[in-house]
Amino acid sequence: MKKYFLLVVALVLVASMLVGCSSEPKSVLDKINEAKKVVVGTSADYPPYEFLDEAGNKTGFDIDLMTEIAKRMGVELEWVDMPFDSLVAAVDSGKLDMSISCFNYDEERDKTVDFSTAYYTTEDAFVVNSTFTGSVVKPEDVANYKVGVQSGTVQDSWLTDNLVTPGLLPEANLSRYERVDQAALDLANGRIEVLMADYVPVQALVAQNPDLTVVYHGELSTGPINIVLPDGDTALKTEVDRIIKELQDEGFIDQLAVKYFSE
Amino acid sequence: MLTWLGYFERFGKNFLHGAGVTLELTAIGLAIGFVLGLLLALARCFGPKWLQQVAGAYIAVFRGTPLLVQLFIIYYGLPEIGIAFSQNMAAYLALGLNSAAYQAEYLRGSINAIGAAQMQAGRSIGLSKWQTIRYVILPQALRLALPSWSNEPISLLKTTAVVFLIAVQDLMAEGKRAATATFDFVGVYLAVALVYLVMVFALDALLKFLERKTKIPGMDIETSR
Amino acid sequence: MDFGQFISYIASGTVYTVGVTLVALPSGLLIGTILALLYVYGGKAAARVMNLYSTVFRGIPPLVLLFILYFAVTKGINLSAFWAGSLSLGIVSSAYQMEIVRGALLSVSGDQLMAARAIGLSRLQAIRYVVLPQAVRLAIPPWSNEAAIVIKDSSLVYALGVPEILRRAQLIGASSQRYLLAYLSAAVIYFLLVFGTTRLLAMLEKKLTIPSNP
Repeated sequence: MKKYFLLVVALVLVASMLVGCSSEPKSVLDKINEAKKVVVGTSADYPPYEFLDEAGNKTGFDIDLMTEIAKRMGVELEWVDMPFDSLVAAVDSGKLDMSISCFNYDEERDKTVDFSTAYYTTEDAFVVNSTFTGSVVKPEDVANYKVGVQSGTVQDSWLTDNLVTPGLLPEANLSRYERVDQAALDLANGRIEVLMADYVPVQALVAQNPDLTVVYHGELSTGPINIVLPDGDTALKTEVDRIIKELQDEGFIDQLAVKYFSE
Repeated sequence: MLTWLGYFERFGKNFLHGAGVTLELTAIGLAIGFVLGLLLALARCFGPKWLQQVAGAYIAVFRGTPLLVQLFIIYYGLPEIGIAFSQNMAAYLALGLNSAAYQAEYLRGSINAIGAAQMQAGRSIGLSKWQTIRYVILPQALRLALPSWSNEPISLLKTTAVVFLIAVQDLMAEGKRAATATFDFVGVYLAVALVYLVMVFALDALLKFLERKTKIPGMDIETSR
Repeated sequence: MDFGQFISYIASGTVYTVGVTLVALPSGLLIGTILALLYVYGGKAAARVMNLYSTVFRGIPPLVLLFILYFAVTKGINLSAFWAGSLSLGIVSSAYQMEIVRGALLSVSGDQLMAARAIGLSRLQAIRYVVLPQAVRLAIPPWSNEAAIVIKDSSLVYALGVPEILRRAQLIGASSQRYLLAYLSAAVIYFLLVFGTTRLLAMLEKKLTIPSNP
């Protein structure tokens, strides 16, 4: 009878026991080469970095870049589309070999995963819709309005650390969305007044929706963007960094920027 | 092994706030669902034929589709035709409209159990149809419905866990933030699971107490999920 | 993009919705039946443990369990979103299905077990040939209800990014800016799945009804 009890206790707590047992003797690079396949996560809601085209296929700056990286690694590429705020944990737990989703370097993230060398640099932007009557001169001004952001992004951390925690922006006035396109929809519908996101995708949003305007852009939370890699896996990092460097030298990344950002 | 218990210290305040929102959602959803559910049950049992069919269709549709889909239609779909509810309002409405379909079925079961005989009896002593419903059938039916109906508050409480997907700051949303901050999804969600369990147990105890209090001696119907 | 493409993009998620259901429901039935047999015939201590199992898994929102199972991994068992989702829904469902089977087992009266023993069947034979065949029939209506619940709950794997009906509706809604149409289409597909399943099971119930035991 005691056996049954132990069985159920084990069932209930099995998850907690598995915490912290992720020892990783082998490089993920070996696994990728053995399987001839790299599993990459992204949150395809961030045009022009990663989004779906009319036919429902993934496309964008990051998507093209990763496709080329996989090609140069000589392996097949398998995409996993998941919510942005789950990507880092998914790389950390081995669900994904790596993740490319316009990731900025972030100290908290760096504790659990590694970052590749930077492949591009970005800025933050605040965007409002045409009915907005307030004013945003400096970034802190957005604390007076209803703000939306994608959950788990560096913008989310910036708003939380600089506006919510000091008490400038009431928690109730900050909406954290699973996807940035949902936040943009709510901005257009007037449920939020200001949306904070990466400047490049915001320009795409504004181009798509003439009701939206950028009221501020600059480097607040953002900066260089990188590919997220498993923690401490130097073999994989060396390989990915090498390919990124190669692509930069060949001008491949600049061409992508022209294609997607018309820069 | 049980380091996750430490999250209560670090995120206790957030969890508490989230749990409050979850309970609020449950209470309001339940209330909307009860009023609408009662109307639907009455429509199905005593309404004219067309009304019975309308109520039946409502129940079939809301029980036949996932709440998450209903929530997304209300929150992300309706603004396209000019109806934009706030996050909380959309959540209350989706939970209420959904719960109404289930509550209607519980109430219909007990109204049917009271039976046509009492309706005849009521009418024969000179009460109108609506008076009979109001003074004879409902007082018994509501008490009779309680044991099976008491599944609904608990089921609804668990169902509320999807509203974080429209950015409502409930317990799940707080859990997700804590998980994103620590990158320990398993530990955080074990802690969150525990909070839900405590709420379910407390609610269950409360409902059992109500059942005992309102039981009609000698009258009972089969209870099911 | 024309309407046909729009719909078929969403509808192709049905594969995942049905897949999740076809993993969750049978695994829930298997675990649930074993646990129910232990509950009813396994003595007091087993009954206690099963009661705890049922209480815990019926008390946690399926979505929470889904996240726990998805991220609770070692390198050995790396569950994909699909499998983590299907199995956690299976575990949740097993707790409900255990209650369904248990209810059905208990409603076949104890006298029958005694009668079976009196004509020389062993306890196991009595369960196998007398109790179970009747219990299965009694379990169909509540089980049909459970099947509908699992189909609907399969939409929760949306949160893990599995490209099932709802996720596809959301993706196509975002790229076409036609959210209302996308989600309404998803609702119609779910409704047809749920409605079809419950109808099918109602037909099965009718076919299996024991004439003398209404």
